Amino acid sequence: MEQNSQMLSLILDLGEMLLVSGAEVNRVEDTIKRLAFAYGFQRTDVFTITSSIVVTVRDASNQTLTETRRILSYETDMHKIDQLNSLSRQICHAPISPESLQQKLQQIRQGTPYCRLIQFLDYAMISAVFSLFFGGNLQDAFAAALCGCLLKLVLDAGKSIQLQSLVLTVLCSFAVAAAAQCCVLVGIGSNFDQIVIGNIMLLIPGVSFTVSLRDMISGDTISGLLGFAEAILKALAIAMGFAIVILLMKGGAR
Amino acid sequence: MNELIQICTSFLGSLGFGILYNIKGKKLGVIGMGGMLSWIVYLMGMALFQDKIGALFLATLAVGALSEGLARILKTPVMTLLVPMLIPLVPGSDLFYATSSLLLNEIETSSEFLNLVIKEAAAIAFGIILITSTVQILHRFQLDRHSHKKNIV
Repeated sequence: MEQNSQMLSLILDLGEMLLVSGAEVNRVEDTIKRLAFAYGFQRTDVFTITSSIVVTVRDASNQTLTETRRILSYETDMHKIDQLNSLSRQICHAPISPESLQQKLQQIRQGTPYCRLIQFLDYAMISAVFSLFFGGNLQDAFAAALCGCLLKLVLDAGKSIQLQSLVLTVLCSFAVAAAAQCCVLVGIGSNFDQIVIGNIMLLIPGVSFTVSLRDMISGDTISGLLGFAEAILKALAIAMGFAIVILLMKGGAR
Repeated sequence: MNELIQICTSFLGSLGFGILYNIKGKKLGVIGMGGMLSWIVYLMGMALFQDKIGALFLATLAVGALSEGLARILKTPVMTLLVPMLIPLVPGSDLFYATSSLLLNEIETSSEFLNLVIKEAAAIAFGIILITSTVQILHRFQLDRHSHKKNIV
């Protein structure tokens, strides 16, 4: 009994990490079911939405166990999804002991993020590249790269003081728009829109918006609606930070 | 010229998002190529239909099929390839224009853009679903044949 509940906890640890790293709801439910089956539970019922996992299992002696996880923050990390996926494949093939499962999960949880310099360069590159993509010139791309670095700074600072995600988004888009405006004033770039749009690509929830529609069409209505609402709120938050700068500029021009 | 810049930048854009999502190794190169392909197919679709929605749908189908195939070769979840490859197609800028014009009280422009964004996202979503369910059906057929051979029902 004790052992079974520990086992269930471990399986949920894996599922939770999958969901936090940005795996689809389908995948999380499927993985938990397969793992529970591999570890000899008779029946498994999983209910997952983007912010919660509920699992009830029945073991060989007809005891039922339930555990719930509440997910509050996400961090997209596809390397983790990849590793967790191959771990669960391996387990379904040949179950490993709870101790070594725990050890492996710990290893994956620590993660191997890119070093901070590369992350900064990456933000700069994405911003520059998308400002070119949407029709900016090289100067705009340079300005966008500078704003991209600022964006990363603000994001990291906000995360370290655990700022609420929507507030952080408003702050980020405000910082980016203000910096872009400064760049135009100083003369580093000329097209405000193209400088900003490169950075906006880093903030805008385009992917979650598309994924939420996919969830809804494929029958996962609750997850879809949650994702849809979150994406709309985030888009509004971005526009708000941006609008503050535009309104300030209008006032200044008068 | 403009198209050439877009094709080159779509490679770097997808690659950049791959790094952002912490993807490692040779998969990054694959993702960059996929992102570039998505934009090439989109441009071809635009030349063919003169319609953004149709072109997006076509490009999503191409990238969806590509990532399903590659995921099996590279033994990784489809989504880790598909999502960064789709980045150049994602209607981020239109979503942004929709909301920013809303806040600037330009209701008509905003609703025009919002209309467009929903259609674009729906085209992409339908494309993904079409590919996913086709693969599922094919997979089921394969399993069926397999179990017949081994006489397991």
